[in-house]
Amino acid sequence: MDFGILSVIIFLPMFVAFSMLILPVGAKGTRNAAFLTAIIIFILVCMVYYNFQLSGYMQFREHHRWISTYGINYSLGIDGFSLIILMLIATLIPSAYLWLWDGRTKGYWVSMLLIQTGITGTLFSQDLILFYFFWEGMLLPVFMIIGMFGTGNRVFSTIKITVYTIMGSLFMLISILYLGVAFFYEFGSWSFALNDIVQITTLSRTEELWLFAGFMIAFAIKIPLFPFHTWLLETYSNSPTGGVFLLSSIMAKLGVYGIVRFVMPIFPDLYKEFAPYFVWIGIFGLIYFGIAALMQTNIKKMFAYSSASHLGFIVTGIFTLNVYGMTGAAFLIIAHAMATGGLFLLVGKMEYNLGIKAIPALGGIAKKAPVFTVFFGIMLLCIVGLPGTNGFVSEFLIILGTFGFSPSAGVVSALTVLIAASFMFWMFQRAILADNGNDVSQMKDLNFKEIVGMLPLAFLIIAMGVYPDWFFYKIEPTIQHYLVDILEIRNY
Amino acid sequence: MNNFLLAWIVLIPLLSSMTLGLMYLFSIKVIKIPNIVFTVLGLSSPFLSFMIGFSFFLQMIGNHEIFLYKAYRWLSVDGYDIDMGFMADKLSIFMVLFITFVGGLIHIYASGYMKTDKGYGKFFFYFNLFLASMLLLVLADSPIIMFIGWEGVGVCSYFLISYYYEDTKNVQAGNKAFIANRVGDLGFIIAMITMIYYVGSNGFDYINLEAGMQNVPINVLTFIGSALFVGAIGKSAQIPLFVWLPDAMAGPTPVSALIHAATMVTAGVYMVARFHFLYDLIPNVGLIIAYVGAFSALFAAIIATKQTDIKKILAYSTMSQLGYMFIAVGLGGYSVGIFHVFTHAFFKALLFMGAGAVIVALHHEQNIFKMGGMRSKTPIVYFAMLIATLAITGIPPFAGFFSKDEILLTAFSSGEYLIWGIGVLTAILTAYYMFRLLFVVFHGKNYQESRKLHTISKSMIMPLIVLAFGSIVAGFIGIPEILGGNNLVGSWLNDWKNSSLHVEHSREFILMGINILAAVIGTYVAYKKFFNYDMAIVPKYNGIIWKKFYIDEIYDRFIVKKVKEVSIFISYKVDVNFIDMIVMGLSRGFIKSGHFISKVQNANTRFYAFFMLVGISVISTYLIMVMR
Amino acid sequence: MADSLLSYIALAMILFSIGFLGVISRKNIFIVYMSIELMLNAINLIFISLGRYYETMVPQVMAMIIIAIAAAEAAVFLSLIVVLYRRKKSLDSDIFTVLSQKDAHE
Repeated sequence: MDFGILSVIIFLPMFVAFSMLILPVGAKGTRNAAFLTAIIIFILVCMVYYNFQLSGYMQFREHHRWISTYGINYSLGIDGFSLIILMLIATLIPSAYLWLWDGRTKGYWVSMLLIQTGITGTLFSQDLILFYFFWEGMLLPVFMIIGMFGTGNRVFSTIKITVYTIMGSLFMLISILYLGVAFFYEFGSWSFALNDIVQITTLSRTEELWLFAGFMIAFAIKIPLFPFHTWLLETYSNSPTGGVFLLSSIMAKLGVYGIVRFVMPIFPDLYKEFAPYFVWIGIFGLIYFGIAALMQTNIKKMFAYSSASHLGFIVTGIFTLNVYGMTGAAFLIIAHAMATGGLFLLVGKMEYNLGIKAIPALGGIAKKAPVFTVFFGIMLLCIVGLPGTNGFVSEFLIILGTFGFSPSAGVVSALTVLIAASFMFWMFQRAILADNGNDVSQMKDLNFKEIVGMLPLAFLIIAMGVYPDWFFYKIEPTIQHYLVDILEIRNY
Repeated sequence: MNNFLLAWIVLIPLLSSMTLGLMYLFSIKVIKIPNIVFTVLGLSSPFLSFMIGFSFFLQMIGNHEIFLYKAYRWLSVDGYDIDMGFMADKLSIFMVLFITFVGGLIHIYASGYMKTDKGYGKFFFYFNLFLASMLLLVLADSPIIMFIGWEGVGVCSYFLISYYYEDTKNVQAGNKAFIANRVGDLGFIIAMITMIYYVGSNGFDYINLEAGMQNVPINVLTFIGSALFVGAIGKSAQIPLFVWLPDAMAGPTPVSALIHAATMVTAGVYMVARFHFLYDLIPNVGLIIAYVGAFSALFAAIIATKQTDIKKILAYSTMSQLGYMFIAVGLGGYSVGIFHVFTHAFFKALLFMGAGAVIVALHHEQNIFKMGGMRSKTPIVYFAMLIATLAITGIPPFAGFFSKDEILLTAFSSGEYLIWGIGVLTAILTAYYMFRLLFVVFHGKNYQESRKLHTISKSMIMPLIVLAFGSIVAGFIGIPEILGGNNLVGSWLNDWKNSSLHVEHSREFILMGINILAAVIGTYVAYKKFFNYDMAIVPKYNGIIWKKFYIDEIYDRFIVKKVKEVSIFISYKVDVNFIDMIVMGLSRGFIKSGHFISKVQNANTRFYAFFMLVGISVISTYLIMVMR
Repeated sequence: MADSLLSYIALAMILFSIGFLGVISRKNIFIVYMSIELMLNAINLIFISLGRYYETMVPQVMAMIIIAIAAAEAAVFLSLIVVLYRRKKSLDSDIFTVLSQKDAHE
């Protein structure tokens, strides 16, 4: 692996995107190139997975000087936590491309490729400035894809998400720069590498608090945690299918990833100190968004709330400070990405065929499109956390972890099984199953490509629920490393 | 050792259901597959499972062997392993036998009942999946694997109840069932997690849990026991989570038979029996269970006396009988409870199938007061129903008599006379409402003689006969010692505390007499009121019993509606008018202040010059004052 | 000597103030222009009197440069005024609002 496999994974999509822009290729050619790229990346990621050692430390490191005057380096690496998100990306994106196959323009495909670069770059960065670079760079193609191909009041949503997230990120940028300067004062040289930043000892408690807050605001907006969630509704509702797919299934998880990757090692003490608050914020979000989802009539907004609800639960998991909760959170990231991603693809198709997003105007889909309904049902059961799907394994572990953290929180967090079931099944009844006399004759059942695209998701959802252990063993050493070496919790 | 065959008891129906599901999709999408293929596949799996189960049963006779099979490590976190393991002890195998047997008969019946249905393959997909889940539930070796089956049963019941999904009402009924079950599951999950922390340090299978229970503080055990019982309440439709059961009649009749007879609702009873080592330690919770059971039994019986829908009457009778079972298991008579589960499976399946046959014959008419006179038209169904009714009423020597008698004996000998009294009262009511149904449907004067009956297929009649026979003899395996039997059920499951064994024989006879008397009283009242009932006018009921004590309305008003209001409040008021207001207010504030400041740039040169002057003056004044 | 410097500077300041007042209070663009010239000349006066006071030639060079630039400026300014007058047929400085924020936003 000495040819810089991570760099290839990051920059191949960008290279393809720019070549497509320069070359006189039509939408179809671009789409084929994008799909081929996704497949190549899938193969590369499989190689990474295969060669990944069972340890909690960074692997596949790459290091090049970038702006050496200020110690900013191009530095990459992955550990178990990044690995699972990487696997997720590599699996989901080809499926999504199969779903978006027809009727998309060149700009759409170029944007998708660029988003992919941004996501993987964010995932691999070991340097804070590089991380920030990709983190913000990711927004640009998102901006384009929603602004150009969205529906409804798309420009407004675009500006809302962009300004909101950039504003959050600015706090993080300030924190990053402050940390860099603090490092300079302490050690006499510039560095923004994560490994160096964690060695800073001179920060006072007040400083640390502010910096912690700076990071957390950026990530809380991205996730989103209560009360930073209002961008979510319009964005999810107005995004095109590809955009909302990537936003919900991957980009939201990067907020969680950011907390684990940066906040936890840089501020381990504050992380432990504030863990109870975040556990409760997560649980509150879980319940709040879950109840809010119940009466939403716009199906995409409903899924937005449902996503937010589960992401709150993921945040609860990573702050439980024990191996159950954190492993469960890592697992729920996968489970939720697959289920939500799949649901958004399915709903996107429904919107594409019928032009309807309102739940009361739907109904009777099941009769018209049985295969569609089967897949919808599988995704839905995963969201609900039915045993036999990976949703259950992850929710169970998080509840277990939360209970270990605080029994009362554990009991309250178990409410998730009830809340998700209520809104999802009620929606399923009104939008898909029951015939409300609405005209849905335009609804088409899945074609062959769509079935092929959806099968890996459905298969993994069930396989990971029936045999979770096989998927766990590469995550666990990393989680142990986090807990024992970084947070220094020995008796959890 | 052929222990891996345990897994196949579950796997056969599971694989068969998967095949059926794929074949059904293939059939509706590509080429139509004839129904016979689905029939063969769907019907063979319960019988194969039964055969395997029976082979284990034979190996168990006369010894205390427990068969264990660990298929693979299901989950391992932090060195804590949970295996996908199967365990067959006497209780599990007992359950497996009658689940597969009665379930198989219901499958046969369904193949006739659903013959003309478009979703024939889909129906058997759900049915086999249901059976697989139920078998996993009883064969699991740890609570968490049991929970997989537990939830699988729940979701299959959802799909089966909302089988005719075009009608919103049916899907609503399915939702209600699933969500009421989920409330129970919440308790189950909490109990499981508490158990992992407090009890399961050596492993999470039943054997380790049983060993671990001994050193756990009693309040923790009480918490676990209560939470588990919440799960049982949800699944077995007891007060206060019973509301889904009557609505569950929205599904096709075989579904009702399957849910009510052999599977699903008995899961709660099974679970309490499975955790007998826990409930033995916390008799107070057991007492609560018994009381919940008793009140549910009475409550359901009262409601059943006024219902007119044949399936709803049977639904409430199920709830009532489940109440009896909980009385037994709550008071420590686990084998007695399981015995009643067993006999109940036979006669309740028979009742539902008979009702289904009548319903089919009358072109899907469900109001008993629009039936009448069916005795001459469908004599086989009549005799089957008569036997089942006698069995549920508790007339000797039919199946229900022995199990119900033992339950009441358990209650009496435990000193819980109130529960015993409720039980006897319920027995009177049971006899009354069941014979009311029978008399009205089969003996009542029919004013629609001319109507042509729908034919009942042979595959529907055959299971009726088998089950009628079963309803007669099923009780014989549990004949108590005083009647010369040797209580095979009790000795089969003999290693448990069984409080019914410590009563004087004379008193036991008296109690038995009281039970028979209760059944006769109920029957007599029903006979007086409803024999040869004249149905010139369909009676209209109202009042609190007919309205089922307004429980649905109360839940709707005080829970569902409130949650919906909160939801609207959150998503349309708080989020839009408060949180988003702040966010958008911030951004609008920036825009507004931008507008305001941009007014300064008004292209008036003289204005600019004036401000320059002001600025210069301020700066120079500052410089002069400070820098001096 | 210092007294006379002070009076020169006082005169220059008075001239400058008159010029500034003219810029901000008069609308006629020619008068504005003349006021600007007046201010420039007030500055020139300060330079020259300071040059005398310190007995150095540097301020005088500056003054010459200012005069030269003022001349060049006059040429550009007057031609601009002619163009503007042709556009709007008016010499009122307030109507020239092409670069205003208002048009761009509303």
